[in-house]
Amino acid sequence: MRRRMSIAAAAIAMSVVALTACTAGNAPTGSGEDVELSFLTFETPNLTAEYWDEAIANASAEVPGVKINKIVGENNLEYLQQLWSSGQAPDIFGGGIAIESFVAKGQLAEWSEDEIGDIVVPDGYAGMIDGKLYATPSTGSQAIPLVYYNKDAFEQAGITEPPSSWDEFLEVCEQLKAAGITPIEIGGGGEDTWAAEMVPAAIIETDVSGQDPEWFAKRQAGEVSFSDPEFVAAAQKVADLAKQGYFDMDGLSRTYADTEQAFRDQKAAMYPMGNWFAASADTTPLDFELGVFAMPSEDGRNLMPVVTGLGLSVNAEAADVDLAKQWALAFQTNQENFDKSIKADGGLVSDDFELPSGLGEAYLATNDLYRTAVKEDNTVPASWYIQGMTPPGFVSALDPALVDLINGRMTAEAFAEFADQKWEELKLEQ
Amino acid sequence: MTATELRTTGVAGTAGRRATRTRTMRRGRVLQFGIFVVPGMAIYVALVLVPMVMAIVTSTTDSNQFRLGADFVGIDNYLRLVQDPAFLRALGNTVLIAAVVTIVPNVLGLAIALLLDRKGWIFNVLRSAFFIPIVLSAVVVSVIWGLILRDDGLLNQTLRWFGVADPPGWVSDPNIALFTVSSVICWQVLGVCVVIYLAGLQGIPRELLEAAEIDGAGPATRFRTVTFPLLAPAVTINVILTLIGGFKVYDQVKVITNGGPGVGTTNTLAFDVVRVSVDSGQVGYGSAMATVMLVIIAFVSIVVMRLLQRREVSL
Repeated sequence: MRRRMSIAAAAIAMSVVALTACTAGNAPTGSGEDVELSFLTFETPNLTAEYWDEAIANASAEVPGVKINKIVGENNLEYLQQLWSSGQAPDIFGGGIAIESFVAKGQLAEWSEDEIGDIVVPDGYAGMIDGKLYATPSTGSQAIPLVYYNKDAFEQAGITEPPSSWDEFLEVCEQLKAAGITPIEIGGGGEDTWAAEMVPAAIIETDVSGQDPEWFAKRQAGEVSFSDPEFVAAAQKVADLAKQGYFDMDGLSRTYADTEQAFRDQKAAMYPMGNWFAASADTTPLDFELGVFAMPSEDGRNLMPVVTGLGLSVNAEAADVDLAKQWALAFQTNQENFDKSIKADGGLVSDDFELPSGLGEAYLATNDLYRTAVKEDNTVPASWYIQGMTPPGFVSALDPALVDLINGRMTAEAFAEFADQKWEELKLEQ
Repeated sequence: MTATELRTTGVAGTAGRRATRTRTMRRGRVLQFGIFVVPGMAIYVALVLVPMVMAIVTSTTDSNQFRLGADFVGIDNYLRLVQDPAFLRALGNTVLIAAVVTIVPNVLGLAIALLLDRKGWIFNVLRSAFFIPIVLSAVVVSVIWGLILRDDGLLNQTLRWFGVADPPGWVSDPNIALFTVSSVICWQVLGVCVVIYLAGLQGIPRELLEAAEIDGAGPATRFRTVTFPLLAPAVTINVILTLIGGFKVYDQVKVITNGGPGVGTTNTLAFDVVRVSVDSGQVGYGSAMATVMLVIIAFVSIVVMRLLQRREVSL
């Protein structure tokens, strides 16, 4: 009897231990008074763990009584949806993630005008849905992509000015190639298949959205198709650049980090990439002089594809929604955080904002380009990167097809047809 | 009470007490068995069977993570699968990887095990060396090989140094990328096959081999008539493990090629399940893919196991 009870006790103890081990990590407990809130962050070579920790500390200093549990993940809709589906939804998140589906499910808290204080809500702001504000407006924008270039290589090839039309762009490529310099760096290897998007996105945004800024909204409404001439023509330009031998084709197997390193190692003269590269160029100086221009359009304009992202949103089921909003606002409006984000990630700001001191030349050149584009009305929506503009998973589903377009396995027409097919498969029926 | 009754009671009492003790012991063993098995079974049911059933149920809906609600669609998802060129391509890729990852490590693993089945410190070192890759995570192995195999990676730099002007695009050439990924997997699982075959070899009585040698059987004949038949259990284990592993490949594809280069070149079933369910949010359709994957793996595994178990010889 005693032996049976001992065995039973041992088995029960083992079960308890096993079930405890199965439990997902318990949130650490803070002090008795602090409210624990989780904050979704995303680390990149520019936005390091130290960057986030300091920015969080700055906000927490302004709003006491909060203990922030940092979640390190990705700033995309699919990742956030995974967290929500698995019961790990963060209390506060940002990073430009499209919020419509969360708003539709009543998962986000609404911001009132009083709560956002002096922050200006621009017209047509994506965070305003049905007249209600669900995300604070971000102060910075991103240009995705611009074309960073090696001025020394340009000089070596006898090129004195960056191109201001498509024909000039082709001429520049030809001159570089004749001088034995690979014109354009591309990426797309390993997990970073997205890096192959830069050149196609630049051309599509410039030629398609540049002609009609509402094109992607019309695609959502079914009024246009990727198989229409304007999109096919843009895809054909990409194919032609590859056929002419203007790409560093080894880049198709390089990761994003290695693609940037390849440009730093002067394996190609031009590097189409988002404006965040400027921050990297200032942090770790290059061995050559750097310039930047926006991809020229067919009609001779240097159009800058811009994303003004969403700021911070708060989970409607956060432990303390009001406190979460106060903290989120403090994070966004803290001057030191603003200055740090500019220096770390190169966010572009208009004339309405004063730039912090100590900014590098690459960032200043990029931001000047942005301010000029805004003044001259030469910005277009970077539709490929505005979350919510395309169905979930659409852009990543097209990455392999972009590689096929670049390496000649797919024609421009077939690529357009593939894009239409994927759009129809992935669009959400309302 | 009469003497007879006393005797009867005594005998019956002893037998009865014995029967009672036997029943009590049996009940005790059942109770012990239950106490140890039930918690594990409960966890298995909760974490494996219940999600499996939920996935099958979800596969009959148009559930989407980015949308409220889900409607019952019956077998529509399954009908869509058989007409989906992306799924069919992923199925083809998966079957090819499973075949390569089953055959190559097993053949090479057996050969290496035969060579290492000797005494000596050098053979101990070699056995450990072959086992090290399996200890590493698939992601770590894939990151390392991805760096080595890219167009300007270590392998091609070495080939260029030896005078190969235009080395292959191991991960960028759509015609060979699938075999590249398969090779990385073979490299990693080879160690498991070697270790299991070594254990099998060491379980073969030496006397049988000596007797065969005395009877004039050469090495090849001894292998064919003694060693290989007695290795049947090890063959079964290795083939089943590598076959199932081959059908479930995800990590290596994700890290080395992310399904590319190009459309569907190295997509596998597991990769497409994640892509469709997580990236695109089409949980219903992804669940249908996962269910089909489960059925295929279960069917193939059972058939192969039955065929191989017929060969197994008991001593």
